[in-house]
Amino acid sequence: MDTIIIDGLSFALPLFIMAIGGIYSEKSGITNLALEGFQGFGAFIGALSAVLIANTSGIDVENLFYVSFLFAMIGGMGFSVIHAVLSIKFKANQVISGVVINILALALTTFLTTQINALVFGAASDKFRLGVSERFTIEGLANIPVIGAIFTNVYPFEVIIVVIAIFAWYLLYKTRFGMRLRASGENPHSVDAAGVNVSKIRFSAVLISGLLSGLAGMCFAYSISANFSSNIYMGYGFLAIAALIFGNWKILPTLVACLIFGFAKSGGTFIAQAMALPSSFTDLFMILPYVLTLLLLVFFSKSNRAPRALGEIYDKGKR
Amino acid sequence: MSDYIVEMKHITKSFPGIVANDDVSIGIKKGEIFALLGENGAGKSTLMSILSGMYEPDEGEIYIRGEKVQISSPNHAANLNIGMVHQHFKLVEDYTITENITLGIEPIKRFAGLFPYVDIRNANRKIEELSKDFGLEVDPTKKIADLTVSMQQRVEILKVLYREAEILIFDEPTAVLTPQEIDFLLGIIEGLRNSGKTIILITHKLEEIKKVADRCAVLNKGKLVDVLDVKTTSVNLMAQLMVGREVSFESEKVPAQFKEEVLKIEHLTVKNEDGFEVVKDVSFTIRSGEIFAIAGVADNGQVEIADAIAGLTKVSNGKIFLEGKDITNESIRNRTEIGISYIPEDRQSYGLFLDFDLSTNLALKQYYKEPFSSKGILNKDVFEQFGSKLIDQFDIRSGQGIKTQVRSMSGGNQQKAIIAREIELQSPLMIFVQPTRGVDIGAIENIHNMMIQQRDQGKAILLVSLELEEIMNVADTIGVIYNGQLQKVASSESLTTNEVGEYMMGAKHE
Ligand SMILES: Nc1ncnc2c1ncn2[C@@H]1O[C@H](COP(=O)(O)OP(=O)(O)O)[C@@H](O)[C@H]1O
Ligand SMILES: [Mg+2]
Repeated sequence: MDTIIIDGLSFALPLFIMAIGGIYSEKSGITNLALEGFQGFGAFIGALSAVLIANTSGIDVENLFYVSFLFAMIGGMGFSVIHAVLSIKFKANQVISGVVINILALALTTFLTTQINALVFGAASDKFRLGVSERFTIEGLANIPVIGAIFTNVYPFEVIIVVIAIFAWYLLYKTRFGMRLRASGENPHSVDAAGVNVSKIRFSAVLISGLLSGLAGMCFAYSISANFSSNIYMGYGFLAIAALIFGNWKILPTLVACLIFGFAKSGGTFIAQAMALPSSFTDLFMILPYVLTLLLLVFFSKSNRAPRALGEIYDKGKR
Repeated sequence: MSDYIVEMKHITKSFPGIVANDDVSIGIKKGEIFALLGENGAGKSTLMSILSGMYEPDEGEIYIRGEKVQISSPNHAANLNIGMVHQHFKLVEDYTITENITLGIEPIKRFAGLFPYVDIRNANRKIEELSKDFGLEVDPTKKIADLTVSMQQRVEILKVLYREAEILIFDEPTAVLTPQEIDFLLGIIEGLRNSGKTIILITHKLEEIKKVADRCAVLNKGKLVDVLDVKTTSVNLMAQLMVGREVSFESEKVPAQFKEEVLKIEHLTVKNEDGFEVVKDVSFTIRSGEIFAIAGVADNGQVEIADAIAGLTKVSNGKIFLEGKDITNESIRNRTEIGISYIPEDRQSYGLFLDFDLSTNLALKQYYKEPFSSKGILNKDVFEQFGSKLIDQFDIRSGQGIKTQVRSMSGGNQQKAIIAREIELQSPLMIFVQPTRGVDIGAIENIHNMMIQQRDQGKAILLVSLELEEIMNVADTIGVIYNGQLQKVASSESLTTNEVGEYMMGAKHE
């Protein structure tokens, strides 16, 4: 039971922070299917800087995760500039832009990983080895039955995510920036008429989604996979999109959706292990979150409402 | 210094293919209601969009309070105390009234002296006060989605007042309102003037100008025709200047020649989505060469009758016969083929594809047939020839002819395009629902003449209109509806406007 909660949380929270990124982008009116690509590219930059720094300074790569998180966020944000420029400046179709960015991220990072491994480290490998981040347990709280698991074997990044998520909620719902951002996704003309630059707001929203996705990607790299490789593209970005849709583009309900996905995943793994099934069956149980996605879609999508101007190309002159 | 608060000198502004404002000069005095009169597409909105910083003029100068300015953005205009209440509201439906009004200038407070947040509570209070001051009471915490159109307009007005506008521009504010709401709004506008504000009122409704305006500038095809003193100018002269020719307020008609029966409705009953009977046991016939008008106050079932005949709504009881054939359960396309043309009420969502060009829109009802397409392939040349022909024949005005995107055309010309397309089908029955709503006098005259011409060619015409004047003017036979029931069917000569009005209110029964 405890493992289900511990593993579920450590998967749900990165998913959540990525979904928040998606919420920012979509609430501003920009469809964002590129989360998958952002998190992969962010993790790539984060992992690359970690191994490079480790290589030159001699610090153990496992101790570099704060640094790598920083670089992953910068990397994800940098990569998201492509989506912002294509869909805002050049008014490209946002779905196509998102899909292309995902393909580009996969191809580019796989290629660069093998090349850099060969050229810099002289190794024939398609991954950067990172190890698993340390964990900590809060004594006392951890002894409470059931909920205690929440405070047991916690990754530091989970704390970081919770802090950022609270700030993201405040920014989106309480500040000027957030008011204008949400209005841009509902009716950009009204924002424009109020003398606010819609493009600027949407640009920042997409960059925020890149930044948060990069962070999420790095979390996955340092926990589930313990390295950076093309395995990072497991479809978690799309799962985050599913979560934010079930969450009706609102932060708190999205957290609930992410937790459901997280526990479904850890629960599936747990059952598979408890039944001592061969690993091929474990894979079968791993699709649990996706089956759940389908079911939730059937029941919840009716009452949900996307931002009104989502995906619409904003043209000032249009009447 | 001149005594004008706003002066626009030699303003010229072009859009691709059209000069929207051609060397226009006007001066507006502080504290007056200045009306801008002109047909659809005359350039009124463009001129005022320039004043409110939405467009930059190609040429010309603007002076505000005697100082030369270049108004580069709506923000800049707001700083000069100019505010515009737009024709198409710019509101966020999901936001409250306060959130909409303060958007862009949200009041800020700090939490723990550190984190800034939008102080909605304070803003709510301020807006409540403001709305009381100007007689525009609203509940600031209500969401826009829950408001009626006239309430939404109040929000737009409050938005401008909240930004401390002294010069208020209203772009066709009454187009979307009911008669009572119009009276109320005109009262508000007068009140604003009396409290010292300067008002620019764009409209093509002469009665409104006569009622509240002090002076009135007339625009025609982008050019300034004249600036008139409203008190000393007759409505007829204003109309004439606006249209650029003499207009008759009554249509010329030869007596109707009724022939064989085209449409027969028997005991028609229609239910709405909630299962409520909105049309109750209605029977009537329309003959070839007859204009049959349904008169009634809005939402008394008239639109549902038209929709049921066109096949847009399901009939729950009764029968519809077209030229003797029972069409009660036919598909829409079959009805079109058999012979129904339909000019819908909401021309923008049902009548046209706004982002397609004019020739495509004109061919919309025939594109799947020879010669427009053969074996599933569209023939663009035929589209274009057909389009050009209709543009000439029906005098549809647009910037770039058949290539014009319909969205950029004026409402009157969009309507003419739909009517041209439907007439071209040569259907024995034509249904017009509110054909002249939001259309100016010149185009109204045009549309009425088209209808009468079709009648004289032997069509049967069903007209649904909320404008009693229009009905008295063009109809041969009038059916008055109240609460889903026909109260009276009689020839138009045998009824007076007053009588029809009484039947419309349900005050008089057969
Ligand atoms: N943004 C635009 N792009 C292209 N043409 C436009 C645009 N705005 C207005 N026009 C054209 O300019 C002319 C004047 O339009 P407008 O000022 O809206 O007229 P009015 O308000 O008097 O009805 C019309 O022919 C219209 O089609
Ligand atoms: Mg206009």
